[in-house]
Order: sequence, then C-alpha cells, then structure tokens
Amino acid sequence: MTIHVPNVNHRFDPLTINRLGLWLFLVSDASFFIALLSSRVFVSGTSTPDEINQVLGLSLTVLLLLSSLTAYRAEVAAENNDMSHMKNMLLATMGMGILFVFGVGYEWYEALQHFPPSTGFGTVLFTLTGVHVTHVATGILTLGFVYFRVRKIETIGDNLFAVEGAVKWWHFVDVAWVFIYPTLYLLK
Amino acid sequence: MTAALIWVLLTVVAEFALLSLNLFGDAATKQGQFIDDAFILLMALAIPVFTFVVTMIGYVVIKFRADGDELEDAAPVRTHKKWVGSWLIWTTLLTIVVIIYPGYVGVQELRETHEEEADLTVNVTGRRWQWSYEYEGRAVSLFAKDDMLILPNDSLIRFYVTSEDQDVIHSFWIPAFRMKIDAVPGLTTKFDVNTTKIGNFNDDVNFRVQCAELCGRDHSLMFTRVKVVEPAEFEQWIADQAA
Amino acid sequence: MPLVRGVIYAAIGFAIGGSISLGITNMTGEDYKEPMIVLGYVFAIIGWLMGVGMWKIWGREWFGKSTVNDPTGGWERYLKFNTDHKVIGIQYLATLAVVFLLAGLLAMGLRAELADSGQNVFTKNTYNTTMSLHGIMMIAVAVAAVMGGFSNYVLPLIIGAEDVAFPRINALSFWVVPPVVVLLLLTPLFGGFDFGWTAYPPLATQAPIGGLLFELAFLTFGISSILGGLNFIATIITQRAPGMTWGRMPIFAWSVLAASIISLTATQWVAYGMLMIIFERVFNMVFFSPPGGNALLYEHIFWFYSHPAVYIMILPAFGAELEIISHFARKPIFAYRWVVRAFAAIVALSFVVWAHHLFTSGMGEELAVPFMVLTELISIPTGIIFLSALGTVWRSKLRLKVPLLFALAVVFNFAIGGLTGIFLADVATDIALQDTYFVVAHFHYTIMGGEMFAIFAAGYYWFPKITGRMYNETLGRIHFALMFILYNITFLVMFIPGTVGMNRRVAEYPPEFEAMNLIVSIAAFGLGLSFLPWIYNMLNSWIRGPKAPDNPWGAKTLEWQTSSPPPLENFKVMPTVTGDPYGYGDESVVHARFGKSSPSSQAAPAEGD
Ligand code: HEA
Ligand code: HEA
Ligand code: CUA
Ligand SMILES: [Cu+2]
Repeated sequence: MTIHVPNVNHRFDPLTINRLGLWLFLVSDASFFIALLSSRVFVSGTSTPDEINQVLGLSLTVLLLLSSLTAYRAEVAAENNDMSHMKNMLLATMGMGILFVFGVGYEWYEALQHFPPSTGFGTVLFTLTGVHVTHVATGILTLGFVYFRVRKIETIGDNLFAVEGAVKWWHFVDVAWVFIYPTLYLLK
Repeated sequence: MTAALIWVLLTVVAEFALLSLNLFGDAATKQGQFIDDAFILLMALAIPVFTFVVTMIGYVVIKFRADGDELEDAAPVRTHKKWVGSWLIWTTLLTIVVIIYPGYVGVQELRETHEEEADLTVNVTGRRWQWSYEYEGRAVSLFAKDDMLILPNDSLIRFYVTSEDQDVIHSFWIPAFRMKIDAVPGLTTKFDVNTTKIGNFNDDVNFRVQCAELCGRDHSLMFTRVKVVEPAEFEQWIADQAA
Repeated sequence: MPLVRGVIYAAIGFAIGGSISLGITNMTGEDYKEPMIVLGYVFAIIGWLMGVGMWKIWGREWFGKSTVNDPTGGWERYLKFNTDHKVIGIQYLATLAVVFLLAGLLAMGLRAELADSGQNVFTKNTYNTTMSLHGIMMIAVAVAAVMGGFSNYVLPLIIGAEDVAFPRINALSFWVVPPVVVLLLLTPLFGGFDFGWTAYPPLATQAPIGGLLFELAFLTFGISSILGGLNFIATIITQRAPGMTWGRMPIFAWSVLAASIISLTATQWVAYGMLMIIFERVFNMVFFSPPGGNALLYEHIFWFYSHPAVYIMILPAFGAELEIISHFARKPIFAYRWVVRAFAAIVALSFVVWAHHLFTSGMGEELAVPFMVLTELISIPTGIIFLSALGTVWRSKLRLKVPLLFALAVVFNFAIGGLTGIFLADVATDIALQDTYFVVAHFHYTIMGGEMFAIFAAGYYWFPKITGRMYNETLGRIHFALMFILYNITFLVMFIPGTVGMNRRVAEYPPEFEAMNLIVSIAAFGLGLSFLPWIYNMLNSWIRGPKAPDNPWGAKTLEWQTSSPPPLENFKVMPTVTGDPYGYGDESVVHARFGKSSPSSQAAPAEGD
C-alpha cells in the first residue's frame, strides 16, 4: 500500500501552514461571534434585568482570564521543552475550564427561574452563553486530546503545534467571553 | 469606426423603441408616476451600455476570428491607459448620475408628503391569508375577504401597515400604485400615496392589494380588490357603511 | 465499501443522538421530535464522516494512533474519503451535476404549473415546496460548483502545487455535502418547507419538520463552504510554485482568493441565522416574535451572508471567463492589474450592501440611501471586468471553440443581469419591483446567465484535462446555440410579468398575465431539452471520446503543462515560474520552466498595469 505524504510545500514549513490555517479559522469564527453579539441589541435592546447574578458573571470572567494565563504558561513551557510544567499547566487550564462550565450551568439554573428561553432576555442569554460554552467545551476537549498525546513523551518534538494550537484556541474562546460578558451583563 | 457606427445606430433604434412602447400602463398615483419615469430613465441609460457590449462582442466575433487550426498569437497589448481611464470616468459618471437622480431624488420624492396631514389614513393589518382595513376616524372597517377597498381619488392617503403578533411577515402591495411595504409582526410601517386616477379591479387587475411576501399556503390568494372613486362618491360610501 | 459503512455508522449515530435527546425530553416533558432530529443528526454526521474514511485517515491521529492514507486506486477512490484534490474536484462536480439536473427538473415542474393562471399540476403547498427546493438546490450548486468543483480541481494545478494546503480538511468539506443533498431530498416526506430559499421567520419557525431539515442542511452546507474558503486561501498563500509572484498568478486564482475571503467570513452569518431558527424551534426561544424579538433581525443576518454569497458565485465565474477568453483570444488579459483591484473592491463592497434586499422590509428609513449608494458603487468595479473582457478580445485572434462561446455569452448575459440589478438597487424602482418576476429574471440572468454559463465554459475548457479525452465539438456547439437562444427567450420575457404586476412565489395568478407566462414556459421546456446534448456529450466523450493531448488549447497556464489527467502528484517535475501566464505574442515572456531553473529570472518584474 502506498502512503501518500503530500510534499506540501516549496517555501513554507508545515508549522507555518498550520498556524495560518488556525488564524484563518479564528477570523472566521470571530465573524460568527460578531453576528452573535449584534443580535443582542435586536432581541432585547440594551436592557439588562436586575435579577441577573452580577457576582457570578464577574467570577466567571475572572476564572476564564486566569485560565488564559495558565494556558499561556503551558505554551511557553512547551517551547522551552519543560514537559512537566507544561503538563501541569494544561491540567490547570482544563480544571478551570471545567469549573467554568459548571459555573455556566449554575447560571442557567438561576436564569431558568427569572428569564427562561421563551423571554427576550432569556433568548439572548441562553444563546450567547450556550454558543460560548460549546466553544469552551471544544477547548477542554482539544486540551484533553493534547494532554493525552503528550502525557508520556519526553520532548515536545512534533507536538509543538498541537499545544500551541490548543492554547491559541483557548485564548480565542476567552477573548470571545471578554466581549460577551459586557454585552450580556453590563449594558444599560 | 464601423463598430462605433453600429453602436450608435443600435442605441438610437433601441431608445426609440423604448420611448414608443408603453411598458406598464399608467400608474394611479403621483409616486407611481415618478417610479415609472425613473424606470424609463434607467432603461434609457442602460441601453447604450448594453448596446456597447453587444456591438463589441458581435463585431469582434466577425472581424477578429481566426479560422484554421494553427495557433496564431495576437499583438500583446496588455493595457491601455486611455481606455482604462475613460472607462472608469464614464462608468463613475453614470453611477453618480443614477445615485443622484433617480436615486436620491426618488427617495426624497417618496417621502415628500411625510410631514403633511393625510386626507385619509387607513390602518392595515395582515393575517394569514387576508387583509383587514380600518378607515381612521371614519368608523368603518373591512374584514371580509370579498370586501373591496374603496379609496378616494385626488387625495393624500396614508397606510399604516402591520401584521398580527403571532402571525408571519406579509407585504402590502398595490401594483397600480407601485408602492409596497412589509407587514411585520410587532412593527408598524407606513407609506403615503397621492391618488391621481380613477379605476377599479374589474378593469385593471393592478387595482388590487396583493401580498408580496411569501406567507405560506394561500399567499397567492391574499389579495383584496381596490376601487378608486371620486372623493364625493367615497364620502357617500363611508356614510352608507357607517349607517 | 466506505459508503455503506458511512450509512451504517450514520444510522448508529442517529440512534445514539436520538436516544440521548429522548432521554432528556422525557425528563423535561418537552415535545420530543425536533430535539431528537437535531441531536440525532449531529451524531449521524459524525458517524457518516468516520464511516466513509475520516476515521482511518484522520480520526485515529487524535488518539495518538497511526493513520493510513491511500488516495490512489480505480473508481473506488471516488467513493471514499480521499485527500487528492483532483478526486475531490470530481466528486463535487459529479454530485452537483446531479443536483443541478434534479433542481432543473423541479423548475420544469414550476413552469408547467405557471403555464396557465389556474392551479393544475401542484397543490399550493407542494408548489411552494417545489419552488423552495429548486431555489436552495440551485443556490447550493451555484455556491459550490465553481469553488468546490473547479477550483478544487484546477487551483492547485494552475498555481503549480501538489495539493491544497489542508488535504484532509478539503475531503471533509466535500463529505458533508452528500448529507445536505439527502436532507433536502427528504424534506418532501416531512411536510416539505414552504418558505422559499430565504426562510424568513416567523414563517420558517412555524413550518413542519421539513423546514427543520432544510435549516440543518443549510447549516451543514455553510460549514462546507467555510472550510473550503479557508483551504483555498491557505493554498494560495503557501502553495504557489517558486517564482509565482502575485503579479504572475493566473486571474482564476485571484478570483478564487477573492471569493474565499467572502466564504470564510460571511458564511458564519447564515450559519447563525439557521441556528437562531433551530433554537427558536427546539428551545422555544423568541428571536423573531414580539414582544422582545424582531423579525428583521433574521433578514439582516441572512442577507449579510446571502448578498456576499452572490459574489462567491460570480467572482470565480469571472475568473474562469477571463482565463478562457485570454487563451482563446491568444492575447494577454487586458488591464490585469485593474481586474485584481476590481476583485478587491467587490469583496470590500459586498459586505456593506446587504440591506438592498430590505428596501421594503420596514427597516429604518435612514438606511435606504446609504445602502443604495453603496450598492450602485459596485457597478464600477464590475464594469472593469467588462472592460477587461472586451479589451482582451479587441484586435485578438479569436478561436471560436465551445468554451469561448460560453465565455462570451457570460459577458452578454451578465450585462443584462447586472444592469437590471441597478433597477433594483434604486430605492424608488425597487419599491415597485421587489418580490416580482423582475427580481426572478434579474437573478436568473446573473446566476444562470453569468455563473452557470461560466460553469459550462469551464466544463468544456477543462474537460480534456480532467478526463483525458476530447468532447465532441459539434455537439458542444449545438448545446451552446440551443441553450443560449432558449435561455434568453425564457428569461428576457420573464422581465415582463415583473413590470406589469405579477409577484413571485405564487402558483396561481391573474389570467391577464397568462400569455407571457406561456411563452416563458414553452421556452423553458426547450431550454431543459437543450441540456440533453450536453449530458450525452459529456458521458459519451468521457467513455469513448478520442484521447486528448496534454495541451489541446495551446494555453500557457500550468495545468496544461502536465499530462491529461495529471498524475497523483500533479507534476512529474515541479515547475518554476518565470513570467506571467498570458505571454501570447511575446516570446520574451515564459510562464514556467520545468526542472532546474536559474533563480535570477525570478526577480523579473511582473507585467501589465
Ligand atoms: C450571481 C448572483 C448575483 C449577482 C452578481 C448580482 C449582482 C447585483 N445585484 Fe442581484 N440578486 C441576486 C443575485 C445576484 N445579483 C439574487 C439571487 C437575488 C434575489 C434573492 C431573492 O430574493 O431570492 C438578487 C436580488 C437583488 C436585489 C434585491 C431585489 C429585491 O428583492 O427587491 C438587488 C437590489 O439592489 C440587487 C442588485 C444587484 C446589483 C446592483 C448587482 C451588481 O453587482 C451588478 C453590477 C453589474 C453591472 C451594473 C453591469 C456591468 C457594468 C457595466 C457594463 C459598467 C457600466 C454600468 C453602470 C455604470 C451602471 N439584486
Ligand atoms: C443556479 C441558480 C438557478 C438556476 C440555474 C435556475 C434555473 C431555472 N429556474 Fe430558477 N430559481 C433559482 C435559482 C436558479 N434557477 C432561485 C434561487 C429561485 C428562488 C426560489 C425562491 O423564491 O425561494 C428560483 C426560482 C425560480 C422561479 C420562480 C418560482 C416562483 O417564484 O414561484 C422560476 C419560474 O419560472 C424558475 C425557473 C427556472 C428555470 C426554468 C430554470 C432552467 O434554467 C432550468 C433548466 C435545467 C433543466 C431543465 C435540467 C436539465 C435538463 C434535463 C434533465 C433534461 C430533461 C428536460 C426536460 C424534461 C424538459 N426559477
Ligand atoms: Cu401574506 Cu403572502
Ligand atoms: Cu444582493
């Protein structure tokens, strides 16, 4: 059986091509988030009900920003071939991610009482957080796959892009939240 | 040279044909007449552009065709500053013209009456698959499918249009008036017309309110017959209805 | 057998997703049907992809296992997840040709119904479903046939690459298309969908299950074109042959780049539009109904994609058209650089004109003028394309082969399509013409007259490269003559009912409009029959046609400098580009050398202004 390894490229190494691909994907997904955010004003104007749990929203934001920091540490560690630190940081990031998902779950539990999906604000809240939390979940999943792949190896070698890509994705998801949070919680 | 002549000739013939045709019959409102004139003007402007393209293709196909099977290259002209420049200037000029007239002016024209007080205000509500009308201040409403929408001639009529809350989007269109606006649940839209012509559905099908936004099964049947009458006759009709 | 496995895995996926959903709805007491379909479908797609070969070639890698990729083989390679861009191109073209014929047959049904004013062939509901299916299937063909089909096959060849940048993503973007087709064809069994291809809510949120299938299909299709766009951009940036500077890149590659930028970014919006409808259906959300919701939200989001989408269709068509015109006129593309600038301008403008579909929608009045102005500005860059086409054929040596005939017809037809666009862009005239047959005629002129004719031009032009055989020139000419004439009769006459007051999307209409509709219908049936010589020619020539030489047209672009059909790695010896590809009549311009080349030649400045 012949194995076709496309002799991709003449001038660019695979890492660069992968990076480009990821960036293009981020641009595309950013476009989705713009659509998402713009629908907020249409559906429930700029009003934010008082019942919304401001403390929870702020904690979630802080949590996600912290996880971005650990993700960044993981990437740096990967570049320096510091495997054990990298693994720890990956685990920490995933841990905070999972916490975030539970936080959103709690937020939904509360929201169901005050503004279920059949109300204007509920529609916005569940859509924005729902789409975002799906992204977070894919981020956790990706980090999980990466962790699974690097857990037993000594040097990073070919897996650098895997770590880098997962981390970039995580940062992207965090930045998306940075836009969603004020749109959802702070508009008056 | 020949090509230019053919182009001029074609253009003249086409323009002549356009002006001698009556494309759509007369509009029954002031706004509609403006729209018809705008349409004709755009046609008049589009014709030279189109005949230019046609002439070029036709001429080139006859004049520059290479018969035989050997490959023979043409002189390698890659660009031509003057051609590109004048093409850009001409198309930009044309664009600016249509943006200003009938474009911008047209929008102003259709909104001209917005500040004036209307002679008659009609509140229109769409619902699957039928329209209902309420003559504001006249205590007359029409609900039935077979009702005929009676309107006075020589009047400024204002339509406020909406759709029922749990219903879908419709569009309120009177072809003879050339005007339409969507009926959206939860939103009130409006347009003004100055009626200028007496007419009715039986003589001209375009005297009808036709739903112009797909709304499901009976979308095509969502119409009301329209009749434009002398103001006096209209008042008489209102009085009869109210009685 | 990958196909069978794909179907089985899809069924298993549906069962798993469906049961999870049933479990949940059982707890919450909601209606179970729609959630079950949505979740089941998501799992089914994953099963399908894994079954057709994605697991073997890609999925195993995620779990740190080794993968096997073998894109070679006989005809079976077309029936599985295959990463060779040439195979994917053919998979797209074959699939979409079938979709086109089916959608065309539906159109024949529409014309049969519309031949007289009453109601005869369909009931009103089936008419609406037929019309909507025709629309969406044709749109799918229009979006994916040039991009997914021809660019996939030709782009890597024309820029001298071995494959696209991400071959596996490429395969993925094809393999989500069959589910789209299946979903659409299933809709009539689930009550159909009666809301047109535009799916405006609240009508769309209230439609039967068939409507839900439509939304899932459109969403999936969106994912395919996003991934396709991503791939083409990365390919053009990273995979060009050494020496292929931007100024030496064939115009077709430029047009694909332009269209890809649109499909990468704008398509996300329609995905969101579909998601909103699905959410409203499944979770009872209220995006569109008062109080709280707003029906215009969808119209804005939808057209923010669907307007740029028309340029996803037409830009690569322009690229192919100019490419073909230059090679058959044996003259460089006129004002090449201006064409590239025009592409850039069209891409930029395409994002800011969407509300010209909303002039009568009741959106804010102050929006009308800016959107009218921006829309009309698009005619300036589009005009440049015409200048280039006409400038190229002027004083050339035209060889009137079938591809050139079709390419010239594009210029003719699109002039009508584009100019009638101006009537619609003008607020005053659009208020009268919106939602009438004038619009229908306009977009059949742009999409069918512009893009489809370009697709046929491209089909004939690249047929020898793709199949290694020649088509029959006489049959091709017959097809062209019939299609061109009957097409123009059909759709030119269709403008008339639009101006005299007949609205679109109706199965019955006032009898006053009968005569013109009858003419349209008769011409349309003839138009339908005109495809028979094409079908025969393509199939027969593919099987029995004379062997084609590597470069039957004597064209200079790279895809013609390799064998027909090209080997797996595209070029036996990789090319080095030394000049632009349109050096007709100019011995000093050599597009490419094969084998060792002198690096100094790469520094030569690009030609054209
Ligand atoms: C390939 C597809 C395609 C293309 C390229 C276009 C191109 C254009 N379209 Fe079209 N359009 C559609 C497909 C397309 N359209 C579809 C599918 C719909 C209906 C959807 C639905 O409702 O179902 C639609 C509907 C549509 C509408 C909404 C109508 C309505 O519902 O009320 C409008 C309004 O502005 C419009 C305008 C234009 C304009 C201005 C262009 C311009 O890009 C055209 C520019 C080209 C030229 C002008 C000709 C060449 C130029 C010259 C020779 C230079 C000289 C000319 C001048 C200076 C004027 N189109
Ligand atoms: C790529 C885009 C594309 C193409 C190529 C076509 C091609 C055709 N279209 Fe379509 N059309 C649309 C895109 C397209 N359409 C869209 C987007 C809509 C809007 C839907 C909506 O409102 O939501 C629409 C709507 C539409 C309508 C309006 C329906 C309505 O508003 O009620 C009509 C009516 O005549 C029509 C007719 C035709 C015809 C006759 C053809 C012909 O050109 C088709 C010719 C092809 C064939 C016939 C198939 C091949 C031939 C054979 C298999 C041989 C056998 C032949 C016979 C049996 C005769 N189309
Ligand atoms: Cu109401 Cu169409
Ligand atoms: Cu548009």
